[in-house]
Amino acid sequence: MITAGKTKVLSLSMAISLAFTGLANAGVTNKDIANDQMTTEDVVSYGLGLRGQRYSPLDKINIDTVKEMRPVWAFSLGGEKQRGQESQPLVKDGVMYISGSYSRVYAIDANTGDELWQYDARLPDGIMPCCDVINRGVALYDNLVIFGTLDAKLVALNKDTGKVVWKKKVEDYKAGYSITAAPIVVKGKIITGVSGGEFGIVGKVRAYDAKNGKLVWERPTVEGHMGYIWKKGKKLENGISGGKPGQTWPGDLWKSGGAAPWLGGTYDADVDLLFFGTGNPAPWNSHLRPGDNYFSASRLAINPDNGKIVWHFQTTPHDGWDYDGVNELIPFDYKEKGKTIKAAATADRNGFFYVLNRENGDFIRGFPFVDKISWASGLDKKGRPLFIDSNRPSDPSKAKDGKKGSTVVAAPSFLGGKNWMPMAYSKDTELFYVPSNEWQMDIWNEPTAYKKGAAYLGAGFTIKAINDDYIGVLKAIDPKTGKEVWRYKNYSPLWGGVLTTAGNLVFMGNPEGYLLGLDAKTGEVKYKFNTGSGIVGSPITWEMNGEQYLSVLSGWGGAVPLWGGDVAKRVKHLNQGGSVWTFKLPK
Amino acid sequence: MKKSNSYLLLLWLSCWGLFATTTFARSFDDIIASNEITVAVYRDFVPFSYQENGAAKGIDVEVAKHIAKELGVTLRLRWMTADENVEDDLRNNLWKGHYLQRSVADLMLRVPYDKKYTQLRDDIGELVHEQVHMFAPYHTESWKIIFNNQKIDSVSTMAIFQYHNIGVEVDSIPQFYLMSAFNGRMRNKTKHYPSLPLAISAMRENKVDAVMGLRSQVSHYQQQLNASAYPLASNAFPMIGRQQWDIGMAVKSDYRQLGYAIADIVESMIKQGHLKKIFDQYSAVYQRPELYSFLEESR
Repeated sequence: MITAGKTKVLSLSMAISLAFTGLANAGVTNKDIANDQMTTEDVVSYGLGLRGQRYSPLDKINIDTVKEMRPVWAFSLGGEKQRGQESQPLVKDGVMYISGSYSRVYAIDANTGDELWQYDARLPDGIMPCCDVINRGVALYDNLVIFGTLDAKLVALNKDTGKVVWKKKVEDYKAGYSITAAPIVVKGKIITGVSGGEFGIVGKVRAYDAKNGKLVWERPTVEGHMGYIWKKGKKLENGISGGKPGQTWPGDLWKSGGAAPWLGGTYDADVDLLFFGTGNPAPWNSHLRPGDNYFSASRLAINPDNGKIVWHFQTTPHDGWDYDGVNELIPFDYKEKGKTIKAAATADRNGFFYVLNRENGDFIRGFPFVDKISWASGLDKKGRPLFIDSNRPSDPSKAKDGKKGSTVVAAPSFLGGKNWMPMAYSKDTELFYVPSNEWQMDIWNEPTAYKKGAAYLGAGFTIKAINDDYIGVLKAIDPKTGKEVWRYKNYSPLWGGVLTTAGNLVFMGNPEGYLLGLDAKTGEVKYKFNTGSGIVGSPITWEMNGEQYLSVLSGWGGAVPLWGGDVAKRVKHLNQGGSVWTFKLPK
Repeated sequence: MKKSNSYLLLLWLSCWGLFATTTFARSFDDIIASNEITVAVYRDFVPFSYQENGAAKGIDVEVAKHIAKELGVTLRLRWMTADENVEDDLRNNLWKGHYLQRSVADLMLRVPYDKKYTQLRDDIGELVHEQVHMFAPYHTESWKIIFNNQKIDSVSTMAIFQYHNIGVEVDSIPQFYLMSAFNGRMRNKTKHYPSLPLAISAMRENKVDAVMGLRSQVSHYQQQLNASAYPLASNAFPMIGRQQWDIGMAVKSDYRQLGYAIADIVESMIKQGHLKKIFDQYSAVYQRPELYSFLEESR
C-alpha cells in the first residue's frame, strides 16, 4: 500500500515499524484538524471539521454511482456488551478509530477491517448514566486517541498500541456526572463538557492540554459560578459566569442549576470561538425556579484561549419541558445582497430552527422545523419564544391530594424535535439536512410517587407518536428562508447523524438498520443497505488509495428504547448489534 | 509450566467464587438450597444502609441480617444507586436489572407499602407494578424539621421560614416542597446542600436556622448535636401531599412464598419490639405501621 516514492524517504527503523503496524505514522497536528473538512484522505475530528458541517468534497460516490456501492468489510465490536453505538469513526493514515458502548475504543485497519487494538475502560459499580451506555466518538491529537468515559474521565491512548498515556478525572461519577460526547481539539487543547442527571450538578466546559491532560481552564455554564484558568500551575480566578449569582434564579438554586453541556461543541476559526450548548435547568419542575435560569438551554460562545463567555443565546428560557439546548451550532456563511453573513445554525430540541450571527450571537431568524409545536406560538424579534402559558406542565404542588390532575400535551416531546443526532450542511445545495422526529408527550401530576423511600408529588409522562405512519423525518431546510425543500419519512424515530457530500448525496442510517443514500436536491432514495441492527451512529467518508470509502456504525440503542409509551412499541422488535460497516464502489 | 497452570486454575476458581452472585431473583426453595439471600439496600443512606470503614451498617442492614438469620441463610447485600424514583429502583434491582449490570436481588428493602401505589395503573390501564409484590411494612416514615432554638423559639407553622433560613438536601422532596408550597414564599430562604448531613453541619455553623428532612434521618443526626439546643419541631406540612407513609419490602411477583416467609419474620420482629430496638440503636424515631394495630387490641 505504501508507494515507492514514500518509502524512499523513510529510515529503515521507520520502515520496520511501518511493516509492523502497516501504517504511516505521522501524528495529528492542529493544522490537520483545522483543515479536516477540506482534506479527503483523513477524518480527524468529530463533525468532519471543527465546524461540524459533516460535508465532504468527495464525489466519486455520487447519485449516479451510489447504486453500485457495496460493503468491503464489517467489524464486530464483540463481547456480550452491545447496546447503542452512537459513535462517529475517525480515520488517519489507514487506521480507523472508533468508540463503542460501555466506554470501549478500537483501532481498525481501514483497508481490511482487522483489529489493531482494543481498549476497555474499567467502569466502577453503581454508575448511573441517564440514557444508555453510549459514546459518540474519539478525538485525535499528535499520537493520541482521546475519549471520555461513562465514569467522567478523559483517557488518552497511544494511537499505535492502545496503551494509556494519560488519564484525568473530569468530575466525580458518584455525584452523577458522566461523559458521552466526543471531545474536540482546538489549538492543542482538548475541550469537553460533562453529562449529568438532576442530582444538583453544575455544568462546566473544560479545556486540557491535549498532550498531557493538564487543566487549562474551566468555565461553569450556570450563572453565579466562578470560572478558573491555570497559569504556570497556579489556579487563578477568571470571572464569574454571568457576572454574579441570583439574577435569573430564585434563592440559591443557581448552586445546583444543571445546564450540563453534555453534547460537546463546535469551533469556528473565522471568529475564533467555541460553541457549546447547555442542558435544561434543575430541578425539572419549572414552577420551583421562576426566571430565565441562565445559562440553561442556551448556546454559549466561548473564547478557546481563556474560557470566557463571549456571547450567549438562550433557546428555551425558564424551560419546563426538558428541552436541552445542547444541539450542535454549525457555523456557515451565506450571501445576502452581496454581503457574506457569518452565521451559525442549530435545530433545537424545542422544535425551532435558529440562524444566529456567530460573531455576536444576534438572532437573525428562526422558524419551526417540526410540524407541531404546542408550547410556544412563535419567536419574537430577538428569538425569544412566545410562550403559551396554558401548555406549560402544571405545578405538582397544586395538585389536589389524591387526584391525577389535568394532562398537558406538549410537542415536541422531551426527546426533542431533534435530539443529539447531528445534522449536516452542504455548501453546494446551501441546505441543512436535519434528522427530526414528530412526537409529543402527555404530562400529568402524579400524587402517588416515591423516591428513595419517600413520598412525593411527581409528574408522569408518556411519549406518543403524532402520526401513525412515521415519527422520523429527515428534512432539507433552506436556512435563508426557513423553507422545507424535501422530506423523507421514517416509521421509527431517527437517532443517527447525517453526512452530505459533493456527490449530491445525503447519507443517514435508521433504526430499522438501513444505511440510506438520498439525492441531496430531491430526497429521492438512491441507496439502501441493511446493516443488520439499527443505526444510531454518524457516517463518515474518506479517500484511500484513490477510492472513496464510507463507514458507519450499526448497533441499536440510545435513549429511545429506554422510554415507554407507544414509541417503545414501535422499536421493540429491533435487535441489538455492534459493528462497523465500510463501503466503496467496485473497482 | 504445570505450576503456573494450577495457579491459573486457582485464580480462576477464586474469581468464580467472587462473581458467582445470583443473576436472577429466585424462589424460596432456591434461596434455602443455595444457603444465601441477596437483599437490595440503598447506597450511602444514613441511617438506613451505609458502609463505615468497610462494614455494612444501618437500620435496613440490621433488618436484612435478621431476615437472613431467621431463614438460616447467609446474607449478601446489593447496594443500590437510587434512580429517579422507586419504580426505576424496583426495575433495576428486583425484576429486570439495570442495563449496566444485568442481575437482581431476591428482596428489596425501603419500598413503599401503599395500596394506591401498588394498584397504580399506567396511561393504557396496565398495572405499573405487576412485576413485584410489595409487603411487610416495617415502619412509618414522615418529615421532620430540626431547628436551632437560639435562633427560633418554636416552629408552630411553616410560615416562619419566610423569615428564617432553612437547609435542605438538593433534589429532595423537602426541596420541592420549600421551593413551591405557598406560591414559593419560603423559596428565598431555602438553602441547598448536597446532602442532609452537610445541611446539619451548616446549621451548627449558624448558616441556617433549621433543616428539613426524613424523620428517621433528622432524629439520627440529632444525637450528634446537643438535643436541647436543637429540638425537633412538631409542625404540620400543609400541601406536601403525604404526611406519613409506610415503608415495606418487595419481592418479584412470582416468589410470593418467599414474601410470606419474610412477612412472618417481620411481624414477629415488630411483635417482640425488635424493630424499635434497631431504630433506638441508631437514635432514630420509630413509628409502628397502622397494619399492626391489632397487636395492641389483642393484648
